[in-house]
Amino acid sequence: MLRLLATIRKELIILVRDKGGLAVMFLMPMMLITIMALIQDAPFKDYQEMKIPLALVNHDKGKLGKSIEAGLRESKIFAINSKDFSEQELKQKVKGGDYEIGILIPEQATQRLEDRVNDFVGKKLSAVGMGGAALSLNDKVDSAIDLKVVFAPTTKKSFKASIMGSLKQSASKLETQTLLAVFSQQLNRDTGAKKEQPPMADFIEFKELNAIETPKEALQLNSVQHNVPAWTIFGMFFIVISLAGSIIKERESGSYTRLLTMPGNYLTIMAGKISSYLLVCLIQCVLMLLVGIYLLPHLGLPRLIIGNNIPAIGIIAASAGLAATGYGIMVGSLFTSQQQSSTFGAVSVVILAALGGIWVPVYVMPEAIRMFAGFSPLYWALTAFHKIFLGDGDIKSILPYAAKLVAFFVATVGISFFYNKTHTR
Amino acid sequence: MPAETAIEVVRLYKQYKGSGEAAVNHISFSIPSGSIFGLLGPNGAGKTTTISMLCGLLAPTSGTATILGLKLKDNLKLIKQQIGVVPQEIALYPTLTAYENLRYIGNMYGLKGQNLKEEIMRHLEIVGLSAHADARVETFSGGMKRRINLVAGILHNPKILFLDEPTVGVDVQSRNLITEHLHLINKRGCTIIYTSHLMEEAEKLCTDIAVIDNGAIIAMGKPQQLIEDHHTNNLEQLFLKLTGKTLRD
Repeated sequence: MLRLLATIRKELIILVRDKGGLAVMFLMPMMLITIMALIQDAPFKDYQEMKIPLALVNHDKGKLGKSIEAGLRESKIFAINSKDFSEQELKQKVKGGDYEIGILIPEQATQRLEDRVNDFVGKKLSAVGMGGAALSLNDKVDSAIDLKVVFAPTTKKSFKASIMGSLKQSASKLETQTLLAVFSQQLNRDTGAKKEQPPMADFIEFKELNAIETPKEALQLNSVQHNVPAWTIFGMFFIVISLAGSIIKERESGSYTRLLTMPGNYLTIMAGKISSYLLVCLIQCVLMLLVGIYLLPHLGLPRLIIGNNIPAIGIIAASAGLAATGYGIMVGSLFTSQQQSSTFGAVSVVILAALGGIWVPVYVMPEAIRMFAGFSPLYWALTAFHKIFLGDGDIKSILPYAAKLVAFFVATVGISFFYNKTHTR
Repeated sequence: MPAETAIEVVRLYKQYKGSGEAAVNHISFSIPSGSIFGLLGPNGAGKTTTISMLCGLLAPTSGTATILGLKLKDNLKLIKQQIGVVPQEIALYPTLTAYENLRYIGNMYGLKGQNLKEEIMRHLEIVGLSAHADARVETFSGGMKRRINLVAGILHNPKILFLDEPTVGVDVQSRNLITEHLHLINKRGCTIIYTSHLMEEAEKLCTDIAVIDNGAIIAMGKPQQLIEDHHTNNLEQLFLKLTGKTLRD
């Protein structure tokens, strides 16, 4: 125990006296959190409150046009501009980038829809001996109503399909309502029944429910909720450079060789290093969360919500800290010079961070990249933090991530131990 | 092994992985307790490999070593408690003070509290550094660092002390102080195993020497006796006569 405590004290004194190292460990993540949260605040809002510019050319003026417009407004994702363009003008405007989508509803679309329904109902009823001939003899009754939709060349296929589905839904709803109205009207006329309005409301309604039924249900992933845990984890993993450097320095100076000639073993020395750097990671984590809670709101950003499950936060912070120190020990053991270790350490952490959704959330990444996220320990830690902060995750829900991080720590320390054993004896 | 033998080495052999040649080739020798034993040889002769095996840093490919009556292979932990090592490098933490460095090393040997503090200050006094106890090692001169490096190896009063070029790169005054201190601890019963390129220093300091070259011991005995036997005037001449004048890498 004396050897362990002595190693911890020695490491902490060295760390405290390394001003550059302290800046990298504390100042850098603090600045990254602040800068990235400020930079990404607008894009996060845009992504969640995005309004797609849409030009609506409604030449109909009847129910169909109004129904489609109401449906589009209801979706709340479009900035609708009612215009009086010709078809050619509409194409030009969309092509020129003024609008993402253009919709053209032709003249008398509602009238043509009603004529078509009347015709259909009349024919059906007369076939069963009810009613007379078709109510409308319009020549165009058999031709479809052409609603024209123009998409910008950059619009994604999935988005196009979604828009078309939404438009078809609006049109179909009106078709059904018209059909019911005409049927009802015809039957009342033929049977002399009391006039009754058909049900105009939807038979089936969709209700959107939030998966989280807690007071935090309105909380969404905003810039602060993403960047504070993300860059905290990044900062924790960035101790790799300092830790690996300390191991290599110790080896180069001969101190490590001297330590090996002393009583005690490699694991005691490493346990001392791990404990010291783990403590640094935990201090980093607490400081960064405090930045999110108290500093960022002063900069016009939302306050970081961390929930009430402090033990869960502690478990993930400790697991991430262990994973980071294990990685640092492995890098320090495998590389022979500080230059190699700091270059590899920095680059590898940046890559793991990018894959793990530190820079931008994983869900906005391309699918091909997203599949690699699961291999990054930073992703495990970040997902666990999001579960706690955004989803009211309890200890049970974050344990799989903590287990992965601890397994990563065991694997990296194991590799270092094996490597040192085979390369010094 | 007689009780007065500190170290007994029998057919010690070491070949590094991937190397076609033996670094240490079946050497055998014994070092009497209380002696200052100089292991002398040109670069790459096998001195450091031999000492590394005796300190437990390297596992021998074959052969045995017995230290203070204990088989090295089976009693490494016990042996480590009773030996001290002063490596050629300044194996200290530059940003720690002299006192903090020595306290850490003392703690690693299980020393603590007031006893450790007194022992540190006593040694610092002897090597003339008590006034610099609270100064960071990075601010020390080469000679001061060498003296602290020596204290770090003897703080726990080892029975056997391994020294790898302990005076390399220091001024005459520091070298003189170091050799005086080595004589002092030797008089208290500590056996010293010492490597150096400084033949004059070795001649003055060592009670016994072994000359090693190409992994094999080519001469061993009392320095004066060897000088006479080989009809040379001093240890340097003896050394050149035995190892030749060809430059070593």
